[in-house]
Amino acid sequence: MSSPTHSSSHSAPFDLSAWRNVPTVLMVLGGAGALLGAFLDVKHAAFSYLTAYMFFLSFGLGGLILTILHHLFDASWSVPVRRINEHLANLLPMLALLFLPIIINVLTAGNDNLIYHWMVLIKEGKPDHAVTAKYPLFTVNSFLAAWVFCGVVWTVLARGLRKHSLEQDKTGSIECTRAMRRYSAAGVFLFAITTTAAAIMWMKALQHEWFSTMYGVYYFAGSTWTTIATIYFLTWLLQRQGPLREVVKYKTFYFLGSLLFAFTVFYAYVTFFQYFIIWNANMPEETFFYVAREHGVWFWVSMVVIFGHFFGPFLTLLRIDVKLMPVIMIPLVAWVWLMHYVDMTFNIMPIMFPDGPHFHWLDFACLAFIGGLLARIFLKSLNSHPIFPQKDPRFAEAMDIHVPEGEVLKAAARGVKATTGGKH
Amino acid sequence: MAATASKPYGIIAEFLTPADAIHAAEMVRDAGFRKWDVYTPFPVHGMDQAMGLDNSKVGYIAFAGGLTGYFSGMLMIWWMNAVDYPIMIGGKPMFSPYGAFPPCYELTILLGAFGSLFGMLALNRLPRLHHPLLKHRRFALASHDRFFVVIETADPKYSETETRKLLTSAGSQRIELVEE
Repeated sequence: MSSPTHSSSHSAPFDLSAWRNVPTVLMVLGGAGALLGAFLDVKHAAFSYLTAYMFFLSFGLGGLILTILHHLFDASWSVPVRRINEHLANLLPMLALLFLPIIINVLTAGNDNLIYHWMVLIKEGKPDHAVTAKYPLFTVNSFLAAWVFCGVVWTVLARGLRKHSLEQDKTGSIECTRAMRRYSAAGVFLFAITTTAAAIMWMKALQHEWFSTMYGVYYFAGSTWTTIATIYFLTWLLQRQGPLREVVKYKTFYFLGSLLFAFTVFYAYVTFFQYFIIWNANMPEETFFYVAREHGVWFWVSMVVIFGHFFGPFLTLLRIDVKLMPVIMIPLVAWVWLMHYVDMTFNIMPIMFPDGPHFHWLDFACLAFIGGLLARIFLKSLNSHPIFPQKDPRFAEAMDIHVPEGEVLKAAARGVKATTGGKH
Repeated sequence: MAATASKPYGIIAEFLTPADAIHAAEMVRDAGFRKWDVYTPFPVHGMDQAMGLDNSKVGYIAFAGGLTGYFSGMLMIWWMNAVDYPIMIGGKPMFSPYGAFPPCYELTILLGAFGSLFGMLALNRLPRLHHPLLKHRRFALASHDRFFVVIETADPKYSETETRKLLTSAGSQRIELVEE
C-alpha cells in the first residue's frame, strides 16, 4: 500500500544552534527579576508568580494525563509521541518544588501581602462563614498537606510511567506495558483528585467564598488543550529536525489536531456551563465571581476568552485539512499558549487588580524563570533518552505495518523486535 | 430481462486485494478520469488519496445547517419570550443569549445533523431506485471479498480499447462491460 507523504516531512531542518542558550538566559534573567520583584512588591510578585506557575503546571499535568490516557485506551497512533508526553509529565517533580515561593508567601508574608485572604481571616481569629464551612480543608495545615500530597503523587506517577517505558526500550518486555497500565489505572483517579485539589486550593481559593464543582475540570480542560497544542508543535519540530522523521505520519498530526479541536469544544462546554449554572441560579454567593470579572477592562478580557479561547480556534480547526497545515497550526499553537495565559490571568489577577489587567515586567520575569528552567529540564530529558518508545508492542501497528502472527511469535522466540520502523 | 443489447454503462475491473485496488485507483487517477469509482467490501485507508478525492462537501452543508439552527433558535426564543408573550421569570432579562443558549445549541446539533444526512444524500444523488451496476452478477462480490474499479462510458477520456488496456496493465484479471 502506498502511504501518502506529508508535504512538510522533508523540509530542511532549522538551524537552532543560536537558540541553545535561550532557556538558561531566560531562567537566570527571569529568576533575578522575580527575586528583585519579591523585594520591591511581595504581593504583586506572588500574584505574577502564581499566574505563571499555574500556566506552566498545565504542561506537566497535561503530559501526565495524556500518557495515562494512552495506556488506558491501549492506543497505537500515539506511540511515537508518547516519550514527549512522558518528558512533559516528568516536569511535575520540579513543578511541585517550584510552588515553594507561594508556600513561603503563605508561611511568612504579613497580612497585607498574603495572597490567600482566607488565611488572613484565620490568623486574625475571625474566619467568616465560608472558611468555617470549608473546615478542615481550608486550614494552613491542609494547604501544606495538599501540596505535599500532589507533589508526591505526581512524582510517583510521572517517574514510574517513564521508568517502565525506558526499561521497555532495553528489554522489550510486555511486563513493562502491563506495569504502565497498572500505574495508569490508579493514576487516572489520583490525577483527578490532585488536579482538582491544586486548582481549588491554589487558584480558586484566592476567592475562598466561591464554590464551583466545575473548577477542577475547567483547569484540566484548559491544561490538556494547551498541552496537546504543545505536543503538536514539538512533534512537528522533531519531525522537521529529523529525530521523528521516520515514525511520525500524517495521521499523527491529524489525530493531534482532532484532539486539539475536541478539547477546544470541551473547554468551552465546561466554561460555559460553569457560567450558565451560576447565571441561572443567580445567587450572590456565586455570582460575585463573575461580577468581579465583568468589571472594568476585565469584561473585555472575558470577551477575549470567549472569542479567542473558543471561537477562533474552533472555527480555524473545523476544516479537516487545516489540521495538517503547519503554516496555520504552528501560529495557532502560539495563540493557544497566549490564550491559556490570558485565561489564567483572568482567573487570578482580578483579585489584585479589580479594574483590569496590569501589564508588568514581573509577569514576564516569572514566565521566563519557570519557562526557562522547565525548558532546560525538558531538553535534557529529550537528549538523554531515546526519542520515541523503541520496543512498544503497538509500534508496528502505529507504523501501519502488518506483522503476521507467525512472524511475531518467531521474533519473540528470537528475542528481537518485529518492527522495522525504528532506526534510532 | 430482455436480451436486447443496450448501450454500455461502463467498464468494470475486478481486483483481489486492497493493495491492487489502490494501485489501480492511482493509475486511473493519474490517467485523468473524472467519472469513475472504486467499490470495496470495507473501508480501505488511503483510498481517498489514491483516487485523488477532495475533502467532502458535506461539511459545508452541515455547517450551514448548524448556523441556521443556532440563529433560528435565538430568533425564535427572542420573539416568543421578549416580544410576543413576555413573562418575567426570576428577575432575569426578557431575552438573554445565555439562557437561550442550551435550546439553540440543541437546534444547532439537530439542523447540523440534518445538513450532513440530507447533504450526503443529495450529493450522492440518493435515493434512487436502480443502478446499472446492480444488474452485474459479480458486483455482489463487492460486499464479500472482491474489489472493483468502474469507469463510466460518460467519462470524456473513455475509450473501450484504451481503458481496457489501462485496467489490464493495472493487474485486473477480469474486465467486463456493464450495460445501462
